[in-house]
Amino acid sequence: MKTQRSRFLTDYGMVVVLLLLCVFFSVVTYTEQSATGVAAVGQVAGAIRAGERVLVVGGQTTGDVAFLAELERQLRAGGVEVMEVVSGGPREARKTLERAMSEGKELDGVACSELAGRWLIFENVGQAFPGLSGVRVVKPQRSRFPSFLKADNLLNIANQIAVIAIVAIGMTMVIVAGGIDLSVGSLIALSAVLVSVLIRDYGGGAEAGTWQLVGCSLVAVLLCGCFGGFSGLMVTRFDIPPFIVTLGMMLVGSGLAYLLADGQSISAMPDAFVWLGRGADLVGLPNAVVLMFGLYGVAHVVMNHTQLGRYLYAVGGNREAAILSGIPLKRVVLVTYLASALLAGLGGVIMASQLKSGSPTYGTMYELYVIAAVVVGGSSLSGGKGRMFGTLIGALTIAVIQNGMNLTNVESYTQKVVLGLVILGAVLLDKVRK
Amino acid sequence: MEMDKGRGLSYNGGMKGFFGWTLGVLAAVTLVSCGEKGGSEGGARGTIAVSLLTLENPFFKIIGDHLAAEAKAQGFEALIVSADKDMAKQGNQVKDFIVKGVDAIVLSPCDPKSVVPVIQEANAAGIPVFTVDIPCPDPEAKIVTQIATDNYGGGREAGMAMIEVLGKSGGKVAILHLKQAQSCILRVKGFREVIDAFNVKGGPKIELVMEIDGGGARDIGYRAAEDALQAHPDLRGIFAINDPSALGARAALEKANKADQIAIIGFDGMKEGKVAIKEGKMYADPIQFPDRMGVEIVKAFVKWSLGEEVAPEILIPTQLYRKADGEKDPDLK
Repeated sequence: MKTQRSRFLTDYGMVVVLLLLCVFFSVVTYTEQSATGVAAVGQVAGAIRAGERVLVVGGQTTGDVAFLAELERQLRAGGVEVMEVVSGGPREARKTLERAMSEGKELDGVACSELAGRWLIFENVGQAFPGLSGVRVVKPQRSRFPSFLKADNLLNIANQIAVIAIVAIGMTMVIVAGGIDLSVGSLIALSAVLVSVLIRDYGGGAEAGTWQLVGCSLVAVLLCGCFGGFSGLMVTRFDIPPFIVTLGMMLVGSGLAYLLADGQSISAMPDAFVWLGRGADLVGLPNAVVLMFGLYGVAHVVMNHTQLGRYLYAVGGNREAAILSGIPLKRVVLVTYLASALLAGLGGVIMASQLKSGSPTYGTMYELYVIAAVVVGGSSLSGGKGRMFGTLIGALTIAVIQNGMNLTNVESYTQKVVLGLVILGAVLLDKVRK
Repeated sequence: MEMDKGRGLSYNGGMKGFFGWTLGVLAAVTLVSCGEKGGSEGGARGTIAVSLLTLENPFFKIIGDHLAAEAKAQGFEALIVSADKDMAKQGNQVKDFIVKGVDAIVLSPCDPKSVVPVIQEANAAGIPVFTVDIPCPDPEAKIVTQIATDNYGGGREAGMAMIEVLGKSGGKVAILHLKQAQSCILRVKGFREVIDAFNVKGGPKIELVMEIDGGGARDIGYRAAEDALQAHPDLRGIFAINDPSALGARAALEKANKADQIAIIGFDGMKEGKVAIKEGKMYADPIQFPDRMGVEIVKAFVKWSLGEEVAPEILIPTQLYRKADGEKDPDLK
């Protein structure tokens, strides 16, 4: 029982670290939040008495438009005289107030949405408009809730890490089999450029249909796969260290991306292309995140319940023994580089979709983030050890730390230091475990 | 239990390492979070979030520093991060800003095209977006105002400086261009117009004999100036669209022993450029004012938020910087 528990902690220690980080960031981002939606309407409407004349102000966001409509309805139902409803920016609000003053209209209050309540014009109406010093500004009340735990933010984290996490699947396979792949960052850029060039030149640009988009994406991913196949061949046939081979491919891939794109970013693509990177069809989950979890499910099965998975661990754990027991070592190693390149290609397509354009500058340093995710997730760089689930946790840990630091106003330089320390800590843990 | 094969066999030290590691990470994160933030609630009046192209270039660093100082003076807190020229990173930073519920977002876009969907997300959240130095001209992205140097006016100033040197004698002038950059096209346009207007007046003419790519960089500027000297050995002036290419040109002139024959006008006012002007290696620079840009952004935001009219573009004029200015400049002592 005891052994089992300590084994669980060793295997899933990172989960606990991740949870602790989440708790930590929840505490430090526990801050004032304005009520939104129905609760906010009730609050604001409740603070205004029947018979008063009010101006209703909000922004143009979908949330605010709905808020204004509902607020106007409730106010009118409560016998409040709604002078006008303004949906726009502070400029429109000021113009309306100025007009009301010049027409000599009497005003008792202004009812704001959360967004409009933050505009400086409503900070002190009496100061901005001396004639309106008696006017009350009613804003939604503030309650306290951690920004970190807002549903929007949690989806944000998953969405931000999707590309790195997907590429890290391939990297885990490579690393478990005892290799390393430095070319993934460049392949992300190459794939993003390839897919945008293909759409622009052969898919019909901004008028491309769904099948053209799918076709172009597949071709881009497969072409990246060819690069992986080539790396794999160099490693297995000629026995060149994978570090050197993939370093070379990193330069080749990056250079080709710049050549193909002519150093520019390419954005001639239809709106439909952003479906993959920015759509959210399944119960509000972003499509890229759904894809990420799906791929992790598949990868988990491959690593733990198939022959290929067992071969990977065997090859990485003890090369000689693997050869002696008849495992087709070369083929297994080749497959890992192929998988890594294909997934990097997919990552590039997702990134192009998220940003609705392809540029050779994408993916810079991503190979290092990907390797960091794998290592933080408990895989050993000497091969033979590592789990898909761990890599996912590693990627999420990196994302949580980055997001948390952005939320707590830690500036760029310090963010790098902290991330570096986290990676060092993970490798240290790896050593201690041995 | 097939799946156990690949994993580590020894569990000794697992617990210890795990707790040590956890404590270490938490300590590190706590330390920076508490040390850096001025309370996660931001300034008393709100937060202005800024994602700049890079902080390695002193130009952007100065923008950021002055923006933060002005924001503080107005009661806001500024959150300044570097996108490290990585568009995806900038996109993630903006997403975090939106979730954080900041009051304004300031960007110098890593890519004027790819930034469009990112700005649209901020638009959809109702947060005002300002751009600095690099514009995003796409009409689908709503921007309150774009703040940049008046490059056209600066080009005109460069032209006037060239007339100060060559007005009496006339002579051949080469332009080291960087045609990819919209800002540099404006600089050269202003320069040409002033020189053309001068030539119409009669008297000695300043001839713009060639316009070559100086790459905006020292090495390419060097080669371009060498080529210009081969084509026109009697060249009298060079206008380079920025300081690095001007300094590259200066090196080429020194190598060809023609430094005294040819006057160089640069652009920017980077420290290196100012030093070269002080030492007489370059004649003059129209200098940019990144410090004013930082201050103007905060002022534009406050005006916007008060509902006052904000111009869609705010241009910061340049100023000619000559040897005499260099000698008085306290930064160069």
